[in-house]
Amino acid sequence: MAKNISVKTIKERARETKVIREADVIVVGGGPGGIGAAVSAARNGADTVLIERYGYLGGMGTGGLVTIIPLLTDYTGKQQIIGLTQEWIDRLIARNAVDFPPEEHWGSIDKELVRYYFQRSFFMTRLDRVSYAAIIDAEISKYILNEMVEEAGVKVYCHAWGTEPIMEGNHCKGVIIESKSGRQAILGKVVIDSTGDGDLFPYAGIEYEDNIPPNFRIANLALCFWVDGVDLKKANEYRQKNPHQFMELSRKAFESGAFGGYFTSNLPDQDSIVWFHNRYANKSQVDVEELTRVEFEGRKKMMKTYDFFKKNMPGFEKSFIVLSAPQLGTRSSRRMVGEYKLTQKDLSDNQPFEDTIAIFPDLDRGQESLNHPNMYIPYRCLLPKNVDNMLVACRAFSSDEHVQEWFNLIPHCIAFGEAAGTASALALKAGVGIKQVDIKALQKQLSKQGVPLPDVTKKVDYKYTGPALTTPPFGAH
Amino acid sequence: MSGKSAEKTIKEPARDIKVWREVDVVVVGGGPGGVASAISAARSGAKTVLIERYGHIGGMATGGLVNIIPNLSDISGKQHIYGLTMELLNRLDKRGGTSYTRKKDRGSTEKKAVDYYLDANLGWFYVRNDHNTGMQRVLYSAVVDPEILKDELNDMVLGAGAELLLHSWGTQVIMKNNAVRGVFFESKSGRQAILGKVIIDATGDGDIFVAAGAELDNECDNKRRTAWLALVWWLTNVNIRKYDNFKASQPEKYKELIQELIKLGGYPMFFKGILKNQPNTVWYHCMQPQPQHTDAMDVEQLTKIDVQARKRALITYDFMKKYVPGFERSFIMLTAPQLGTQGGRRIIGEYILTEKDMETDEVFEDTIAVLANNDYGEISAKHPTLCIPYRCLVPKCVDGLLVAGRAFSSADTINETFNIIPHCIAYGQAAGTAAAMAVKAGIQPRRVDYKALRANLVKQGVNIPEYSGKKKSESLTRSKPKDFYYQKYTSGGG
Repeated sequence: MAKNISVKTIKERARETKVIREADVIVVGGGPGGIGAAVSAARNGADTVLIERYGYLGGMGTGGLVTIIPLLTDYTGKQQIIGLTQEWIDRLIARNAVDFPPEEHWGSIDKELVRYYFQRSFFMTRLDRVSYAAIIDAEISKYILNEMVEEAGVKVYCHAWGTEPIMEGNHCKGVIIESKSGRQAILGKVVIDSTGDGDLFPYAGIEYEDNIPPNFRIANLALCFWVDGVDLKKANEYRQKNPHQFMELSRKAFESGAFGGYFTSNLPDQDSIVWFHNRYANKSQVDVEELTRVEFEGRKKMMKTYDFFKKNMPGFEKSFIVLSAPQLGTRSSRRMVGEYKLTQKDLSDNQPFEDTIAIFPDLDRGQESLNHPNMYIPYRCLLPKNVDNMLVACRAFSSDEHVQEWFNLIPHCIAFGEAAGTASALALKAGVGIKQVDIKALQKQLSKQGVPLPDVTKKVDYKYTGPALTTPPFGAH
Repeated sequence: MSGKSAEKTIKEPARDIKVWREVDVVVVGGGPGGVASAISAARSGAKTVLIERYGHIGGMATGGLVNIIPNLSDISGKQHIYGLTMELLNRLDKRGGTSYTRKKDRGSTEKKAVDYYLDANLGWFYVRNDHNTGMQRVLYSAVVDPEILKDELNDMVLGAGAELLLHSWGTQVIMKNNAVRGVFFESKSGRQAILGKVIIDATGDGDIFVAAGAELDNECDNKRRTAWLALVWWLTNVNIRKYDNFKASQPEKYKELIQELIKLGGYPMFFKGILKNQPNTVWYHCMQPQPQHTDAMDVEQLTKIDVQARKRALITYDFMKKYVPGFERSFIMLTAPQLGTQGGRRIIGEYILTEKDMETDEVFEDTIAVLANNDYGEISAKHPTLCIPYRCLVPKCVDGLLVAGRAFSSADTINETFNIIPHCIAYGQAAGTAAAMAVKAGIQPRRVDYKALRANLVKQGVNIPEYSGKKKSESLTRSKPKDFYYQKYTSGGG
C-alpha cells in the first residue's frame, strides 16, 4: 500500500464562486443540533437556510442509527428537557413510531417496574429508577424532521456539504458548499455550526480542544447495524432456559472478534429486529484516514457477528442484516473553547447561570448524580470567543471532556440548537449582535417554546436524602 | 430581507492545499464503475487510490438499494457479461448474498418458470419479451444483498492493493495545460489534494470532467428512465401470502384500492424481496420525475425530490398498512441512504455510441465489452448484443482522464439501456486496466494499444469477440421501439 505521505502542497488558484442565496441565518449540518437551530430561527422570523451533507435530516438520530432520545427526566421523574425534543416525540406518538415508559412511571423506584424497563431497554432506567427515554423510528423521524423544517419555512439544501466559512476578520460572511451543483456560496448574517465536529472552527479561527481520554465513551466511533428476521421468541426462550450456554456463546462470540450483545427494537411491529451498537477506538473522529479504517474494521466485525449469530444462536437461523448505519457513529471530536467553558467543576456545582438556556438531568454518574441531579447550561457555551456572528449548536459546544462525556447526546444537541436558533433570530430582530442579545428576552422566548428554565435569581440548595444506590453508575471510568 | 440572488459571486483567494498522496491512478467515486476501475488498475500494477463520498462503496448497488444485476445474458439465455461481475457474484454466492435465475431456466419460455420469476419482480429484472416470438423468456439476472456486498467490495478493493478513502468527496481538478493531474477533495480532514497520472471519473455524474471543462451532453428525453430519480425503500413484516390471497380472491377490490392509493399520491408497485431470508420484505423503487433539469445535477431539485419522495413513501406506507391485507403489521425498515440517480451528464468521447450502433453489430477494434441488448424492443430481438468501444470512455478533448460508469460517451437512448450495474462494472474494468497500461507505458490513455488492451481484458475473463478488421455494412431497419421500455415503471402505473 502507498505510504509516501508527503507534506507537499499544491496551489489552488483564486476563483469567483457563485452566491446562490443570501439569508439571515445559515445552519450548517442537519443533525439534532441543526434541526433545533433551523426550526427555532425560522419560527422566530429569521430567513433560514439549512445545509445537510446527506439526503435526510436527523444526523446520528436517523442516519447514525442512534435512535434513542434518553435522559429527559431527572431522577425524581420531573421532565427537564421538553421544547423541540418533546415536539419530535409527540409527532412520533401520532404515528405510533416511538416507545417510552408512560409518564406515571417516570422516577418510580418500584423494583418490578424498574426490572421490566431495564429488560425492555437499557436506556429506560437510571439510578435504580425508571427514566423517561424514547426509542424512535429512524425512517419515520426522517419524514417528521422534513415536515418540521418545511412547516417552519426553512430553506434546506440536502446532498450539500458546508465545507468552509467565508471570513472577513472576525466576522463570518457566509459558507462555501459543495454539491452536485458544484462549489457555491451562501451568504448570511449569522452562521451556526451544527456539523457536530466543529468543521468550521479551523477555518474560522475558533479556538478548540480535542483531547479525549481513551477510556471515555466519547473516545469511540460506532458502526451500528440492524439484523432482521430474528425469531426473538426462540432467542429469548433459549436465553432463559439455558443462561449458562447463552453466556458461553456470548463469550465465544466475543473471543472470535464478534459482538456478544444486542438491543431489541421494541418499536411497534418490529418484533424480529435487533440492534448492534458498538465502540471502536480511534485516534480522531475527524481524520479521514481513521474514519476509513473504522468503516472497514466495523464492517468486518459486523460480518463476523452476523455469521456467528446465524450459525450458533438459536433464533438467528434466518436472520439477515437490514442495514449498517449510513453514517459512522461519531461521539466527539473538536470542542470549542468559548465564552464560557463548562467543566468538571460545574458538574458538582448545581447553580443556574444567569444566562441559562437549558437544564439537563444528570443521571449517569451514580451517587454524584443523586447529589447533583441537574446541570445548567449557559448561553455563553455556544459562543466562540473571537468571531462575532457565529454560534455552535451541536456536541462541539464549549465544554471539557467530562461535561462532553455526559451531555452531548441527541436531546442535549436539540436544546443547544433551540437556544442558538432562537437567539439568532432575536438578535437580528433587535438589530444587535448575537453576543449582545437580551438574555432575559431569550429566556422568556425559550420558556414560551416549552423549554423549562430555572429561576436564576435563586440559589439552589440541594441535598439527596433518598435510599442509597444498589446499581453501579452507567459509565464509570 | 433576502431570497435568491442573481449572478453574484464571491472571491476565494488562491491558497496552498496539502497533497495527501501522489499515485499512478486516482479513481473518484466508489460505485460499480469506480470499484471495478480501482480493482483493475491495482491488479494491473498501478498504485491506485479510490475516493468515495459515503462511508461505504458500491454506489447505487448498495447505498442506492438498487441491488440488482440484470441483463447478464441475452434473451436466449446466452451469457455475455463475465469478468469482475462474475467474480463478484461468485464471491457473494459463497456467503448466501445473492439470488439469481437458475441456469436451466435461462432463456426458457416455460410458463411455470416465467410466472415464478415474474411474480417476484413484475418483469423488471428476470423476464423479457422476445419480440421474435412474442413470448416471455427468463434472463440471467441476479439480485444481491447490499450489506454483504459492501463488505465483499471492501475485500476486493483492498485485496487488489488499492488504497481507499471513504467519507471523501472529490470536487475539483488540478489541471496542467490540457491534462488532469489530480483532484481536490473535501472531508472531515479539510480540503486536500491527490495527484495522479491518470484520473478516472467514476462519479456517475461526470463531476470531475465538468470541473476539467470537458465537453459533455446532458440532453435527455424526460420520458426516459434516466431522466427520473428514485428513492428506494424497503417495507418488512409483510404477510406476503395473505396479500397474494387477497389479490387473487378479490381482484376488483384490489384494483380499487390501488387506484385509491394512486389518487392519494402513493406509489403502487413493489418487488418482492427475493433475497434469502427476506420472505416478509418488499422493495419499493419509487420513481420521481425531475421537473426542471433532467440531469440530476441541481442541488435544489435534488433536495425537493428527496423531500417529496419521503412524503410519498409515508403516504404509501400509511395506506398499505391501513387498507391492504397482509400489510397490517408492516413497517419501513429503511430508505436508501443515497438518492437513486439514473442518468445525467455524459462525456463527449472519442466515440459517441448512438441508437444506430445497436443495428450495425459492429465489432470495434477497441471493443472492451459485449453487452446483452434486451430492453430495446424489436431492435433487441434482431440485435441481441452491443459492442462497446474503449473510445467512449476517453474524453475527446481532455488528457489524463477516463470515464467509468454511466457517464460514458453515449446518446440518451444508449445511456438508458446500457448504464446499469453490470455495464458500469464492465466500463470500470476496462478503464482501470487501460489506465494502468497508460501509466506503465508513460503515454496518454487515448494512446493505449487497443489490441493489447483487448488481450489484457480477455486474460481477466472478460468476454470480447475477435476483431476481424471488417466493418459491417450499415443496413438499418430504423425500427424504433413503439414506446419507452421503462415508461410503465416511471409512470407509476403497472
